[in-house]
Amino acid sequence: MISVRGLTKQYGAVRAVDDLTFDVAPGKVTGFLGPNGAGKSTTMRMVLGLDRPTAGSALVGGRPFGALAEPLRAAGALLDAGAVHPGRSGRDHLRVAARTHGIPQRRVDEVIDQVGLGPAARRRVKGYSLGMRQRLGIATALIGDPAVLLFDEPMNGLDLDGVRWVRRLVRGLADEGRTVLLSSHLMSEMEQTADHLVIIGRGRLIADASMQEVIRGGAGRRQVRVRTPSVDDLAGALLRAGLRVHPAGDGELVVDGGTAETVGDVALSVGAAVHRLVEDQSSLEEVYLDLTGDSVQYRVSDAAELVTR
Amino acid sequence: MTTTDVRAAEPGTLTVYGRAAAAEWLRLRTVRSTWWCLLAATVTIVGIGVVMAFDAENVTATGELPPATAAGEFGVLLGQFALLVLVLLAVTQEYASGAIGPTLQWTPRRGVLMAARVAVPVLAATVAGVLLAFVADIAAWLIADLPLAGADVADSLGRIAAVLVAGGVLAVGVGLFLRSTAGALATVFLLQLVLPFLLPAFGVEWMADLGELLPGSGAIWTLLGEPEMSAAQATSLLVGWSAAGLGLGGWALLRRDAG
Repeated sequence: MISVRGLTKQYGAVRAVDDLTFDVAPGKVTGFLGPNGAGKSTTMRMVLGLDRPTAGSALVGGRPFGALAEPLRAAGALLDAGAVHPGRSGRDHLRVAARTHGIPQRRVDEVIDQVGLGPAARRRVKGYSLGMRQRLGIATALIGDPAVLLFDEPMNGLDLDGVRWVRRLVRGLADEGRTVLLSSHLMSEMEQTADHLVIIGRGRLIADASMQEVIRGGAGRRQVRVRTPSVDDLAGALLRAGLRVHPAGDGELVVDGGTAETVGDVALSVGAAVHRLVEDQSSLEEVYLDLTGDSVQYRVSDAAELVTR
Repeated sequence: MTTTDVRAAEPGTLTVYGRAAAAEWLRLRTVRSTWWCLLAATVTIVGIGVVMAFDAENVTATGELPPATAAGEFGVLLGQFALLVLVLLAVTQEYASGAIGPTLQWTPRRGVLMAARVAVPVLAATVAGVLLAFVADIAAWLIADLPLAGADVADSLGRIAAVLVAGGVLAVGVGLFLRSTAGALATVFLLQLVLPFLLPAFGVEWMADLGELLPGSGAIWTLLGEPEMSAAQATSLLVGWSAAGLGLGGWALLRRDAG
């Protein structure tokens, strides 16, 4: 459980994080989205006690992270895969982490196996690819078997296999009842992995809702596609019902704003056969671009309305 | 895992400090730069001691043979820089690589980290320096048959330890404050060696006076008994500069963002 309350970070004249309030619940993967510079990393750094908030607070498991005696058992994080002494081997890096908590050596080898670092763990980090660094960072986050995990762009630099591995790992961690906060720019990945979304722009909260709510509520342009042999009859009936209709060719119509139910009912009422009826759901990517396209236009109140509509 | 579980199982500050110190020691051992610095310190301290031993009759102005402990003292006067670099890199490398981020995630109580980061590298450098000085003393005694008395050795090694502790603490403080290897290295090098020797060489009185206020002057006096100053002056130079460095470094680590 992560609780962020009124979190604010001011760098000179720039307000990187602006009065942010949200919770990250256990048992779910919470996606943390926002354009570059929106304040995602700064927020994560403040949650982990690395940066001092100008105002507000962030608690991990009910306590400020900076006060914990055994922080790795409370929360593990991968913020910047490159932030490792290049001259130290991956295994030694993990051994240092373990030693700060009295974690036995056995656990070090366990997480090395778990992330698939293998024999590379004994090589110095300067020779690692970005993907290997990501795996090392994930191993470090897991070493204390924490209840909370924060991953900042963990899929960067991973190949397809690696991306699928992270997706399964993150899913598994949440299914074990852990709290997982995951930031990524890969919207399709996020759509497959996250249950809940926290979206920020220019340091402010834009949306804090389940994936379904965001996708449904955020889609200002929901559409239904219908295929029928009696295109003209159906189009006329739909227009009379107050819906906007465009022909899509090949016997198909695109209906704006309706649902499959209304379109089906209208078709039945005029006796038009329906050969195909699909609700086009917007992708997360479309909704995300809508929401963040102009962070000024979508203030917190607008977003709340959007996602509950 | 619930909040109460975490609290119930939480170890005391002493345990946390012990672990942080053990981790510092492992950090120090697992990078090559530490070993390169030790090699450089060995070559310098023992090497200078041996050279001095061969040239013993020219060491003092009077031509009288110096005690064997002068070998270690001359050696440390220069060789301390390899040891100070060791200490500095332990601090500044983390800022260069960003590893300070993970470090503070593992030991977020910054006071604890500070205490471990001062104690372990400084202690390691001091022990190494004292041992190497002792080797240099023995070498001088064996090679040039310089006089070697137990009390002299204890006194000399004690002074060497004081110089290395003071220099090491100053280096940690400057490193934490400046966060840049090059900047911290230049600062420590200037304060500890270059300016104390250079400033008096101009023959301008205020420059010489300024030179005598630098930590390096205190270190040189403690090692060689030059230039003119009292033990109290030298001690306050060593203690004062270390404390100032520690204060600045502590402020930066405890108050500033991780970096």
